[in-house]
Amino acid sequence: MALPQSLRTSVTPLELELIASEQLVEIVPLITMEKTAFISGAYGPLRPPAKCRIPLWMATNLKLKKKCHIVPPEWLSVEFLQERLTRETSRPEFSKLPFRFAEIAKVILDVASDDVQNADKIKSLLKDLREARQAKSRDGLQKLDHSELSLPNLCSMEINEIRPFFIQSMGILTQLVREPSAE
Amino acid sequence: MDNDYFSIDAILAENQKIQCTFKVDIPDMGHLAGGSDRDIKSLTKAPIPIWLAYIMLFSDWADFTIPSPFGTRVRNALKAEPRSVKLSNLVGAGGLWYGFGKMVMDILSEEQANGISEVLTKAFKGRLLEVIDQAQHFAALGPAGGGGPSTDTAQSFREGLDGTERELFALAQESAKRMKRWHEGNDKARR
Repeated sequence: MALPQSLRTSVTPLELELIASEQLVEIVPLITMEKTAFISGAYGPLRPPAKCRIPLWMATNLKLKKKCHIVPPEWLSVEFLQERLTRETSRPEFSKLPFRFAEIAKVILDVASDDVQNADKIKSLLKDLREARQAKSRDGLQKLDHSELSLPNLCSMEINEIRPFFIQSMGILTQLVREPSAE
Repeated sequence: MDNDYFSIDAILAENQKIQCTFKVDIPDMGHLAGGSDRDIKSLTKAPIPIWLAYIMLFSDWADFTIPSPFGTRVRNALKAEPRSVKLSNLVGAGGLWYGFGKMVMDILSEEQANGISEVLTKAFKGRLLEVIDQAQHFAALGPAGGGGPSTDTAQSFREGLDGTERELFALAQESAKRMKRWHEGNDKARR
C-alpha cells in the first residue's frame, strides 16, 4: 500500500476534526437567513437574536465572517472540566467525556475564544485532562494481552493516537504466545 | 514474523544459523560445514540456517541445541532487567530476535517451546513500555533537538532495539508527532 505504515490503521487528526464538525452547536446569529438546504440537512432559519442550532462547520464559517457568536456547549466550562479532572485524577478508570470533546474544544477555542469564558483556564484544564488520561493509557499498556484489552470511556482522538501501536504490539504478542497452545 | 511463505520478516528471521549435529553421513555436502571435507560424517557439528535445519530435523537427519541468543545467560539477563539487554547485538545488525525465537519455538518440543515462549513474551512486555515512552519523548523534540535526554541508558536502549521493536517505535513516534502538530496548529488562516 502507498500509505505510510502508521496511517494504515488510523486516520489523521484533521480528518477526525472534520467528522466532529458535523455535530450541532448553538449560535446567536447576527444575520438573517432563510431555512437553507445543505447536503447534510436543512438548517435555519436564522433570526437574530434568537439562538439556533447548526453544524459546527457552518458555525465556524459564520464566525470567521463575524456573522454569529458561538455558544459553547455545556461541557466546555470551567466547572464541568474541573470536576472531571478531579474525577480523573482520583479514580483509576477513565471518566466519561463527550466522545469528540478534543476536536470540538479545539475548534471552538480556535475561532471563538472570545465567546468562551475563561478560555485560558479551559485550555489548561483540557491539557491536564489529556495528560492524566494519557498516563492511564500507559498503565493500560502494562496489562496488554494478546487476546483483549478493554479501555472504556476513551475518546476518539485518544483512540486514534494509540491504535496503530496497540494493534501491532498485540499482533506480535499473539504470535509469540499462541504457538505452544497450537501444538 | 509469520509462517507466511511470502513474509519478508519471516525470511529475514530464518536466516540465522543454529548449531546442528548430523546423525547420518551425507556425501558430497562437505561445503556446508565450511570445511574442506568432501563428505559430512555423522556426529559432526555444523552451523546451518534455520530454514534448512527445519527439514533436517523433521526428517531426523540431525539434532540441534538451543542457540546462544536464547541460552541461559541471555535468559537470566532478561529475567533480571529486560530493558538492559541489547537484542540487536544477539542477532546481528537489523536482527529479528523475536522472529528467530518464534522459529526456534516451532521446531522445539512442547515444554521447551513453552519455556521459550515465556521468555519472549516477558521480554517483549517488559520492553514495550520503555519503547513507547522514548517514542513519545522523541516526538516532542524537533528535528534538531536530539541532544536533550540522550543519557547513556536511553541511547543504548534505542541502539539495542530489535527490528520489530523499531517498527513499534516508529509507529508511536509518528502518531505522537501528528497529534502534537494538530494541537499546536492554529487553523484560522486555513479556514
